[in-house]
Amino acid sequence: MATQNRRDFLKTVSSIGIVTAGVAATPTKLKADPENILSNERNGVLVDTTVCIGCRRCEWACKKSHDMQPGSIDDYDDKSIFDIKRRPDHTTHTVINAYKGNSISKPIMLKAQCMHCDKPACVSACIVGAFSKKENGSVVWDESKCIGCRYCMVACPFQIPAFDYHKAIEPDIHKCDFCAERKGNGKLPACVEICPVEALTFGNRADLVTLAKDRIKKNPKRYVDHIYGETEVGGTSWMYLSSVDFATLDFPVLSADTAPGVSESIQHGIFAYFIPPIALYALLGGIMYISKQKSNKEEE
Amino acid sequence: MKFFSMLILLIIPVLCIAQPTQHSELKFNCSLCHSCESPTKTNPCLKACPRAEIITVHHSAEEAPGYIILDKFKNVEDNYAPVNFSHKAHAEMSVMAGGCEMCHHYNPPGRVVACSECHSQSRIRDDLRTPDLKGALHRQCIDCHRLWSSDVACADCHHENITNINKADPVDRYHPQIEEPERLVYDTDEMEGYVTFYHSDHTNIFGQECNDCHKQESCVSCHIEEQMLGNINLSQEEKHDACSGCHDTDGDCESCHKEQITPGFYHAVSTGFNLSKYHSKVECGGCHTTPKVFKGLSGSCAACHKNWSLENFEHSITGLSLDENHSENDCEDCHVENDYKNPTCDNCHDEEIFYPDFLPGIMK
Ligand code: SF4
Ligand code: SF4
Repeated sequence: MATQNRRDFLKTVSSIGIVTAGVAATPTKLKADPENILSNERNGVLVDTTVCIGCRRCEWACKKSHDMQPGSIDDYDDKSIFDIKRRPDHTTHTVINAYKGNSISKPIMLKAQCMHCDKPACVSACIVGAFSKKENGSVVWDESKCIGCRYCMVACPFQIPAFDYHKAIEPDIHKCDFCAERKGNGKLPACVEICPVEALTFGNRADLVTLAKDRIKKNPKRYVDHIYGETEVGGTSWMYLSSVDFATLDFPVLSADTAPGVSESIQHGIFAYFIPPIALYALLGGIMYISKQKSNKEEE
Repeated sequence: MKFFSMLILLIIPVLCIAQPTQHSELKFNCSLCHSCESPTKTNPCLKACPRAEIITVHHSAEEAPGYIILDKFKNVEDNYAPVNFSHKAHAEMSVMAGGCEMCHHYNPPGRVVACSECHSQSRIRDDLRTPDLKGALHRQCIDCHRLWSSDVACADCHHENITNINKADPVDRYHPQIEEPERLVYDTDEMEGYVTFYHSDHTNIFGQECNDCHKQESCVSCHIEEQMLGNINLSQEEKHDACSGCHDTDGDCESCHKEQITPGFYHAVSTGFNLSKYHSKVECGGCHTTPKVFKGLSGSCAACHKNWSLENFEHSITGLSLDENHSENDCEDCHVENDYKNPTCDNCHDEEIFYPDFLPGIMK
């Protein structure tokens, strides 16, 4: 099985797909309920881009805490990495990018990772419920449920979930899990803990909004009057302060409408071709679910 | 027993309140800093720093500790060598800018408050408004350092081998001598032409101190990359600010803005009055008493030395003590038409006696 490549896999699923169309008529069982809890206790992080110095210690700590081959911490002093913009991928859950600076930050350093939306599009898009929003704010991914359909990647307004294309068969979605495990043990997220300048403030999300407003009010020259993530896509757990318009930092301009609209638009697009979306989901989901069961069995 | 515990209960608050004697004499409203009515030492219920409103300076930079070793975080995972912070050098530099308050931003009168008294050592804490100690210390250094050098690598401050530094006997570091420009020419946009500014003359001849003109400077004004300097858009008013302490920058544009680059100002050449050894030590304002007006003095001694007369003038302060034969003369006898530089003997003597070969007394 391990030697089977992606094309073979697709061939297999399409042939089974026809056979299994009938089986897939019971979609409710497959689409698990998202654990979409919005607790008042949920926490978040306020990223102050005017404070971040781009030391990339957070990148190192994140990898280290997730067993992702961090390498030597001194290698992270390499500033040439800022020459090209990077995205979080299967090798790193968080990256620092550099943007043209101003008199307040020179240059502006921007940490990117999952925003941990309050109403996550990935959770809505995932047809097998592999994504869930936890009570503590984390949006996490469950490998055992994932069928590798990558709907989450399409749905995410921030293009965060990354797929390990080096592993075609075992679905391997990568993204920041807001250190769900560490938080469970009463620890801070690894990146927050290591940050030398406390550019990342961890706390109760509601407190962080108050804190951010306070900072803007006290330093109107330092910050633009906008907390990115306060309302975007219905609010995110990770929020940002900046000295420049967020659009110049490649933040998507998003309304307060919840992002699941994005996944709905996939469905709407399909609907335009007179295919009831649920049937298509059921079909695709069924195909993948069964092929996963099959591959699991083969491996055993 | 009950009585005892009552007594203790009564004493404790009294002790707490009585302790910071200077503190309680503050002229500020308690609620500026405290959120509850009766703050105690254990529960001071502090609000976020009101910073600028309550700061006081406690001692001069010279009295400041030389080095401070910052070693609070020795045991954390990202273990870097402690930082040997050259406190005194920074204190001295800060005199040019915002003073001690640049770092000691919250310090009621009294002793110097340690950073850790406000900045929590733990990142997990209730009041998130104040950065934790690690964040605060790093920001305090990096905020300035990274503005003039993108080099903020950890090892730039966390040097190895600092253990042999003796805290009690620090070797002081000083800001290297600043090389002063001799002449600056400003090609002005607003007015056609140039302003030629002789920098070293202002400090060496006119006796200006750096901060007479550099009023609001901070380290970054100099330690900044050129491209940044271009970004600083000073208003016309701000540009004139450095000069307006001594010069009339509101009305008299032409005295500085000239069509050509001008030669430096030399009192003797430009005004005809040689300052010589006595006047060169006098501050400009000693003679030019009307602020920002330097014109209009005649050059005669009497223009300033209004009370000098034959009776009270000690000629010896010029370096020449008059002998008996000359001490009774009128000033005019030798100094015709207020010419004190080239005295004449012609009024009493014939051509064989002349100045300076023949003197009316002894040079000291
Ligand atoms: S919260 Fe945890 S997983 Fe997310 S970027 Fe920080 S260290 Fe990485
Ligand atoms: S550790 Fe903190 S300062 Fe360093 S790059 Fe990450 S967020 Fe920025």
